[in-house]
Amino acid sequence: MSIAQDLMRQLEELAEENDIVRVDAVTVRAGVLAGIVPEALDMAFACLAEGTVAEGAELTLEIEPALAECRRCGHRFEPEIDAYLCERCGVADVTILQGRDIILSSLSCTQRGNGNDEDQRGP
Amino acid sequence: MTKISVVRSVLKANDAVAEANRRRLEAAGIMVLNITSAPGSGKTALLEKTIPALAPALRSAVVVGDLQTTRDAERLGGLAVEVSQINTEGGCHLQATQVADALDTLALKDLGLLFIENVGNMVCPASYDLGEHLRVVLLSVPEGPDKVAKYPTIFQPADVILINKMDLAGPLEFSDEIVMADLARINTRAPVFRVSARTGEGLEAWYDWIREQHRARFGS
Repeated sequence: MSIAQDLMRQLEELAEENDIVRVDAVTVRAGVLAGIVPEALDMAFACLAEGTVAEGAELTLEIEPALAECRRCGHRFEPEIDAYLCERCGVADVTILQGRDIILSSLSCTQRGNGNDEDQRGP
Repeated sequence: MTKISVVRSVLKANDAVAEANRRRLEAAGIMVLNITSAPGSGKTALLEKTIPALAPALRSAVVVGDLQTTRDAERLGGLAVEVSQINTEGGCHLQATQVADALDTLALKDLGLLFIENVGNMVCPASYDLGEHLRVVLLSVPEGPDKVAKYPTIFQPADVILINKMDLAGPLEFSDEIVMADLARINTRAPVFRVSARTGEGLEAWYDWIREQHRARFGS
């Protein structure tokens, strides 16, 4: 839920900066370790978007693989969510370089001044 | 319709505040420990023992997060430390801004440690940096030995792991072999302390570890 709240906050900021009057679709890239449950994010987002520029927007979630770096030997590898063992030196002591992030990566939207929003009506 | 490409970290706002918290506390010579566990693992009981044991050399403040009530803060307030209770009102974890607000209410002078007792939850707190230097994860004997395998994302970044309620290991036939075998895949860096916050068993090693970590950061 709080990830959906943070996402909405970012969307609202973007909407204001870019004169967006309506958001139709949102793409979020999340690391496999970010702990996102797609159905839960969908539902939370749909609820929070009600009454905002993003009401009814379609949310697409792209899951990205993780990247770990062994703190002992520097070896980089793709860990599993429950396996961080370095195959070179046999310890599980890694820095997660990638896989925890949740990134708002694109949106399809209507901007003010595009000719098809309410502000353009009138004489 | 326009398609806009952006790269905005959804957690960016939290991370920026977390970094500011860390810098602010570091400047004051305060080491921050973020304590996470399932509800009822003994986070508050651990602090009730730890805080007086480390004083007066290391004086502590506590920021404690719960959905509701000030009961934990009342328990810890008896130990004459600075305590700030955050009620998340449904939120399942603390966020860096809540900690920043709490810091404004605490007298940070002459402190050596800040313990952040996170909301009891082994999922969401993993994603939120609060500005800590060290992540402490607790699991307790009655929860069973499968916690590490079931919640790897909280154990992977842990800097120290405590197995609490070891006084119940006998009656519950708890063996830490499964815990250690799972940690061998997930986190071999964090030291594991077997303790009982109730009886005091094993706590001396935990205290020594905290003192050592503080010394390593701030000297004596």
